[in-house]
Amino acid sequence: MNSLSPETPGSFSSPPLQYPPQTDTFDELVDQDGSVRTHWQDFLKGFSTLNANERRLAQETADRMLKGDGVTYLAGQDGQQSDRPWQLDLFPLVIGQEEWQQLEAGLIQRARLLNHILSDLYGPQQLLKNGTLPPAVVFGNPQFLQPCHNVPVQGGTYLHFLAFDVARAPDGQWWVLRDRTEAPSGAGFALENRIIASRALPDLFDAARVQRLSSFFQTFSQNFLEFSQRDDPLAVVLSPGPQNMAYFEHAYLSRYLGYPVVEGSDMTVRDDRLYLKTVDGLKPVDLVLRRIYSDLCDPLELSTESTLGIPGLLQSIRAGHVTIGNALGSGLVDSEVLLSFLPTLCQFFFSEGLKIPSVATWWCGQDSERAYVFENMQKLMIRRVLTPKRDLSHSRRSSFGPDLTQQDQQELIRAITRRGHEYVGREIVSPSTAPFWGASDRLKPVPMTLRLYLTATKDGYTVMPGGLARVSVQSDPRAHWHEPGDFSKDTWVKGDGIFDHQPVLGSPHQTLLLRRGGRDLPSRTADNLFWLGRYIERAEGAIRLLRSLFLRTSGEAGSSDEPETLSRLVSLLVMQKHLTPRRAKRAVEGGADMVEAELRTILFDPDSPDGLAIILQNVRRTAELVRHRLSQDTWNILIDLTSIPKEWTRTKGQSIDDAIRLLSRMIQHLAAVNGMVMENMTRSYAWRFLEMGRRLERVRHLSKLIRHLASRGTPEATGALNLLLEVADSSITYRTRYRAEAQLAAVLDLLLADETNPRSVIFQLQTFDAHMGDLPHEETAASLNPAQKIITRVCTDIRLTDMIQIAELTKTTKVRANLVRLLKQLDLGVQQLSDIVAHTYFSHSLSQRISGPQWLEGIP
Amino acid sequence: MIYQVTHRTTFTYTEPVAISHHVLRLALRTHPRQHSLRSSLSIDPIPSVRSDGKDYFGNPLTHLTIQTPHPALIVEAQTVVDVQKPESIHLDQSLSWDQVPQRLQGSTDPEILDAQQFLFDSPYITVDDGTYDFVCECFPPGRPLLAGVMDLTSRIFQDFTYEGGVTDVSTPVQEVLHSRKGVCQDFAHLEIAALRSLGLPARYISGYLLTHPPEGQKKLVGADASHAWLSTWCPDIGWVDFDPTNNCIPHDEHISLAWGRDYGDVSPINGFMVGGGQHTPTVSVDVSPVSLPSIV
Repeated sequence: MNSLSPETPGSFSSPPLQYPPQTDTFDELVDQDGSVRTHWQDFLKGFSTLNANERRLAQETADRMLKGDGVTYLAGQDGQQSDRPWQLDLFPLVIGQEEWQQLEAGLIQRARLLNHILSDLYGPQQLLKNGTLPPAVVFGNPQFLQPCHNVPVQGGTYLHFLAFDVARAPDGQWWVLRDRTEAPSGAGFALENRIIASRALPDLFDAARVQRLSSFFQTFSQNFLEFSQRDDPLAVVLSPGPQNMAYFEHAYLSRYLGYPVVEGSDMTVRDDRLYLKTVDGLKPVDLVLRRIYSDLCDPLELSTESTLGIPGLLQSIRAGHVTIGNALGSGLVDSEVLLSFLPTLCQFFFSEGLKIPSVATWWCGQDSERAYVFENMQKLMIRRVLTPKRDLSHSRRSSFGPDLTQQDQQELIRAITRRGHEYVGREIVSPSTAPFWGASDRLKPVPMTLRLYLTATKDGYTVMPGGLARVSVQSDPRAHWHEPGDFSKDTWVKGDGIFDHQPVLGSPHQTLLLRRGGRDLPSRTADNLFWLGRYIERAEGAIRLLRSLFLRTSGEAGSSDEPETLSRLVSLLVMQKHLTPRRAKRAVEGGADMVEAELRTILFDPDSPDGLAIILQNVRRTAELVRHRLSQDTWNILIDLTSIPKEWTRTKGQSIDDAIRLLSRMIQHLAAVNGMVMENMTRSYAWRFLEMGRRLERVRHLSKLIRHLASRGTPEATGALNLLLEVADSSITYRTRYRAEAQLAAVLDLLLADETNPRSVIFQLQTFDAHMGDLPHEETAASLNPAQKIITRVCTDIRLTDMIQIAELTKTTKVRANLVRLLKQLDLGVQQLSDIVAHTYFSHSLSQRISGPQWLEGIP
Repeated sequence: MIYQVTHRTTFTYTEPVAISHHVLRLALRTHPRQHSLRSSLSIDPIPSVRSDGKDYFGNPLTHLTIQTPHPALIVEAQTVVDVQKPESIHLDQSLSWDQVPQRLQGSTDPEILDAQQFLFDSPYITVDDGTYDFVCECFPPGRPLLAGVMDLTSRIFQDFTYEGGVTDVSTPVQEVLHSRKGVCQDFAHLEIAALRSLGLPARYISGYLLTHPPEGQKKLVGADASHAWLSTWCPDIGWVDFDPTNNCIPHDEHISLAWGRDYGDVSPINGFMVGGGQHTPTVSVDVSPVSLPSIV
């Protein structure tokens, strides 16, 4: 057991530096003699000066940032997906400058090599014609996409952005475990790790002279954009959508690079050109940073089952109008069957050896290799790598020789004998160990692998100075894929201290490379913003109502209410779908206490299909989808807001006062969000859609409230009018204006027709109209467009209404029929306006497949 | 033999289609025994974008985009084609099947390299122990390749029931093997899978077949149909076609349209559209022998 400093090792109060590395592996931190490796010394010195409090603070900072940024990835296990928090171990991996340079040179060589192989196999296929590669490696690989053969690739660059998984052997030599050439994920997480680590350990970070990551992404983007011939190119991040495990990263890269994140159905191909559907019509897309598998990109020519792609994309690439990074079909070279051929291929193309070896791999498509695998099966990992089924999980593709029973072995041998070309045998890696710090505040050595990223530039490939280190704390360290329970680490590559004076990336939410303003708002984003506006407003309506109800059932106010009011309150809950009619009936029969009890159980009830919890979830979900359009502060407030229900479950006793306190806090949060939206958002299309959603929802809510509280009976007498004013946030206005008890006609006038009241229906409609007028629309000869016609009609109806007359009760029916009629007009108008907005601006309908006859009529 | 082939497909939509993209493989490919004398492809409505070329396997293909709203699409391919009889093959004189994999390995002969494209699993054809076990009976060690393939072809013809409507283009061969029912494309897929299980190259061929009306009846125009069969590669002889649906080696009444690894590579019409609602395709195919002077 080694102690890394003279201080006595110990618990939380002293530096956690006792560190016992395993003897049979390479340890990143200490050498065989137990001394700290030179490139770690600065960092370790700094780390050992942190006291327990500072260490705890650093960890808390990291936790808070991870939570605040909502860093998650979806880990899929056998088809089941769950949203997992990203796990970061703050103790970084430090790599010395000299060693890094060697690693860099090796990886650059390898990236060039893979690009050369792709351009041969998707072009002249010399490697096959001269026998350098056996045909099975290409033709037997489902990642070889025949339709991509001879598709022109700008500048011969197939690989714009790629990654290598590397690990260090016991002798200290780096090995490549896997090449990642399709759409490697994790770079966004590496960036996020850096931002968090540099903030949680700011002094240590500064002192360590770590090379910065930001310029790498700038380099990527600058070079990528140059692949377009247009002056002001439009680049997008093509994602499978929010259900994908890596969506967080897609959105993150999108924010960071300033490329909108889009799905296949957000784009269309016309005249062999790729277009993005925006609220301002179709905008040509020049560059696509692809985050979906190649074969899913164009259902017309590749996998016809795909719903993620864009029909006709390949034709637009052939026409030279768009560049895809990485080029379609790039996954061909990340196959493990290629690993054993790389040294030969490197000689073939560059007349030099491979600078960084691959982990020893034997391809069973060749007799001698297969024989070797059979002989040494017990100490190898056997992987079935060439199967068309992508859904085969990593663990199901792999067998570890040492774990195989006699029978397993026999079966495997039989399978490999028949279909050898699908299998490889690989040496089982025992990677180096690196210190894991973790929550226990102790360092322990755990196995580590590293993913490093490269991007193409005009002058060749360049490596991101850092990477995503993965440590296996519980999972099987022999696996080289990401497993649940793994932690990541920031990788600190030592520099010479001369940096371009980039700040440490500042906020991840800065859009460093943004090239354009709000004019290219994708239709889908507009749709999400519109709904975010609606959900925020819906939440506010529900919360105000609940608060008013709680206020009325508690204390003095509660006891003074008439029973009629109580049942009306309950009917409001039913209207909001917080309560089923059956439970409502029972509650009313049970009196005020029963109502109160019901209120407390339904508040934030996550199981209620329409209650507050669901509305808040919708706020959160839609906010996540448009996060790149919101400021960090707005985002933080929304996250806080949506986590308040959790506080309720933690609240002891759950008294009415607690409920009122939480609801009031939520209203304050909403006010803050609204303030942010009004004061901080640029008046772009994005802002207008958010606003339009809010305005329409407010009209809908007001109409519902008025109908429930004022369309029958004598609302003045039951307190319903006061409730109405309160929920509509117009009590003060009413009181200052009338200085009298609420009267229906005056209240209706204030809530429906008063153009100066920012809570009135007419005010919402006029604001909506103004926003709509500022959106792009087709010039029409007609004086009013359909939306304007609806608004004009509804507003005129309201203006022409005699409020005193509709407030009167018809003796025969006990219902204010004219009022109900007006409200129905209003509801209809809202529905129509919502449809018009959707129809005009949110068309991202999916293409459907046209199939010929499903079976052929042969002649028997 | 010279034929006029007319292949007409009509899609009728319940709602207008705003935009549609199509890939068509409806122009007959040429090969040593087959020459296209005249061909035309007419599309209604006239596409906004159309380009003609060849796919990876050398089949003629046409890309088109229709960008004006259309309630229907009619595609009609007309070809006059000259098909010659194959040279007679002595099945028993072909190389023994178990020597074929060796002949494939390590060779840089372009023909052999080409054959290896049809050796592996493809999107619609996956081999497994079932297909392997199925084929073994026909291929005892040392049997001449083509004799084995003919035997396999006959076995599928005898043991499987031709029945429409129980399968579709994506039905896996494993299911066909189990149910013993299917149509021409299923039998072709199955036989290809069986041959590939043994490491023998096999490709899928789509095309047409001249049909003969029952004795004394007049041939109905448009009553013919698309057909599918397969071809296997034999060293020193080349590609030889087999038709398991009709238990024969195609002569001059089979007209090849396109070939590939499986149906997916040769599907005559693929398309995607926005809008359109429901759609129903109707297909009519007519194959008529013609006498040369009348068309030249």
